[in-house]
Amino acid sequence: MKAHPSALPHKIPLGPVAGHDGRPATLRVLRYDARTTTLRTVLGNDPSPGLRAEIATRAHDAMTHRAFIVRTTPGSDIDELCLIPSGEYCEVLCIHSNGWRRTHGDHRRSLSEILSDLAAAVACGKLRFLDASQLAAELTSGEQMLYREITGPGTLAAARKHLSTGLEALGIAAISREHVVLGACEAATNTLIHGGGVGSLSLIKLPNTARVVVADTGPGLTFLNWYDKPAAGMQPSMGYGYRIILEHIDRISLHTCPSGTTLLLDQTT
Amino acid sequence: MLHTIIEKDSEPVVYLQGEMDLDCAETLRWAVQEAAGPAGVTLDFGGVRFVDSSGTGIFVRLCLDMQQRGVPLRIRNLTPAVTQVFDMLRVRQLVGEDLFV
Repeated sequence: MKAHPSALPHKIPLGPVAGHDGRPATLRVLRYDARTTTLRTVLGNDPSPGLRAEIATRAHDAMTHRAFIVRTTPGSDIDELCLIPSGEYCEVLCIHSNGWRRTHGDHRRSLSEILSDLAAAVACGKLRFLDASQLAAELTSGEQMLYREITGPGTLAAARKHLSTGLEALGIAAISREHVVLGACEAATNTLIHGGGVGSLSLIKLPNTARVVVADTGPGLTFLNWYDKPAAGMQPSMGYGYRIILEHIDRISLHTCPSGTTLLLDQTT
Repeated sequence: MLHTIIEKDSEPVVYLQGEMDLDCAETLRWAVQEAAGPAGVTLDFGGVRFVDSSGTGIFVRLCLDMQQRGVPLRIRNLTPAVTQVFDMLRVRQLVGEDLFV
């Protein structure tokens, strides 16, 4: 049997190339307010004053032209930059890869592909990034129907089963239930692989909406998998988890910081 | 949880049943290694009702490892739940279209 060309074994080890500085890749989200012409940091570190001014100018241009803009800016503090006009705001998504690169033969998705998915989801109103105060406000809403701790791969199946039962009780149709369970499982798996190894999954009843909250106290969304070589015999992450979540869930809200990541997955009932 | 039924024949088959997630690596790998003969092994997905990106990643890694060792692998009987995720993750392109019978 002849192997497909893309299935050839890796000739070059997975992982970074020369030039990385040892720090993980980072995601930064900024919000430009056209009314006040101010730029606020929603997620991640504050940019330097010079970069802040440059981003504000670009955001203003993007809003003026109502244009979704993706830029690659090698050599700066940002590798990938997406500008997404949305009403009176412009959401700004930045990835700084810190020198980490997908190597030849690595079939995982590139950071720019992942960023493009996130940016497109923001552009169509499906994904929003929450700062700490917005998250706190969201978490006070609704009635908790289910709470499960995610402590290892062996806990995922039971969490899916209980979640499916809870969603059925909330009147979610079978096909939609499957979508929510798949999206929630992707998020829960991320807590195990990237979120410190422990997390929680809750089902919240909101008016006309079933909300699944998946939270961890890990290091935040740092794309750590981009510099960890997969364990022997394992390929646990191809970078598709968020794509599956975005594809199957009606609305997603994300907060991530160095003390943890929380995803709110909302499905209309 | 993933369960496997191994049919050792001149053309061995591993019947996969249940769910493929982050927890399936050991079960899947053991079953394939146990079943694989000179003619390789067929994986029958007819009983798989759930797969996520981690389960898919484990499967892809296994396929690539088997190909590297020269063990013929055949994939058949994908359920709609598996097909949907495999298509989204471009599994056929990753492991080779000719594995799917």
